[in-house]
Amino acid sequence: MPGANSAAKMTATPVTRVLGVSALAATALMAVLGLIVSPPDVIQGEAVRMLYVHVPSIWIAYGSFALTSTSSVLFLRRSRRRADQGRHYDRLAGSAAEVGVVFTAITLITGMLWGKVTWGTYWQWDARLTTTVLLFVTYLGYLALRRLPAEPTVRSRRAAVMALISFVNVPIVHYSVDWWRTLHQKASLSVGRRPEITGEMYWTLLYSTLAVTILATWLIIHRYRVIRLEELRDEEGLEALIASRLNKDVGSH
Amino acid sequence: MSEVATVVVGWGITFVALATYSTWVVLRGKGIGQELGIGEIEQSDVEKDTSATTDS
Repeated sequence: MPGANSAAKMTATPVTRVLGVSALAATALMAVLGLIVSPPDVIQGEAVRMLYVHVPSIWIAYGSFALTSTSSVLFLRRSRRRADQGRHYDRLAGSAAEVGVVFTAITLITGMLWGKVTWGTYWQWDARLTTTVLLFVTYLGYLALRRLPAEPTVRSRRAAVMALISFVNVPIVHYSVDWWRTLHQKASLSVGRRPEITGEMYWTLLYSTLAVTILATWLIIHRYRVIRLEELRDEEGLEALIASRLNKDVGSH
Repeated sequence: MSEVATVVVGWGITFVALATYSTWVVLRGKGIGQELGIGEIEQSDVEKDTSATTDS
């Protein structure tokens, strides 16, 4: 089917194919390291293996939301000056936010499961958990705002402002365990502080972060291209609608 | 739920969620590409080139 093959070219290039295969291989190795090679924890036992999906997921979510904010600032600065009205930055912001929401959801689910075996409860309205769920809901709102019917530039501008407001919560989530007394443990790794974990656990966590970063990069690139295709489809649909209206008007006179 | 079962469920949900989202993104791209007839345009270009070569 030539159509399907050519359409696939719009979202896949040799670079993204290599990136996709690398992501697949990297996550497979991550599973081997996280589930088999790394040792169980002295206190937490086997449950510590949740660390390798839970922690990289929230780091990727932070990174994605940072990319959304940076792109939104660039969009707001350049939307009036550039010929394409900075649409590139708007697309990048949207694709990164969606990937960030997926990883935030994974963080919440894995965190709840981990909490059940270590704290004895799935949920507690403490500072870290509450701010994380708030982060998830605000970015869901951001994605909903991007779908509201409005003139594209106006809609993108509103979304960019909301992205900047939503990002204020990211440092609050991260430092909530330092600022308030919470059930959640302090950060496993933090700049300027001795790591809470060492040896094979430390390297497995770093490797898992790398693997998930490759996957997230691949997803953001693909989602960006799909947003571009959605825009093209909408533009074509609008042009067809205008043409049919014009034909109708000419016919009636 | 035991520790091992929790780990299996947690990792399982993570992989299923990421695989589902990745598949959705790829299929949506292919679907819209087909809707736009990008393939048809490229195919007709190829046919044009081929007939030009044959004519000469």
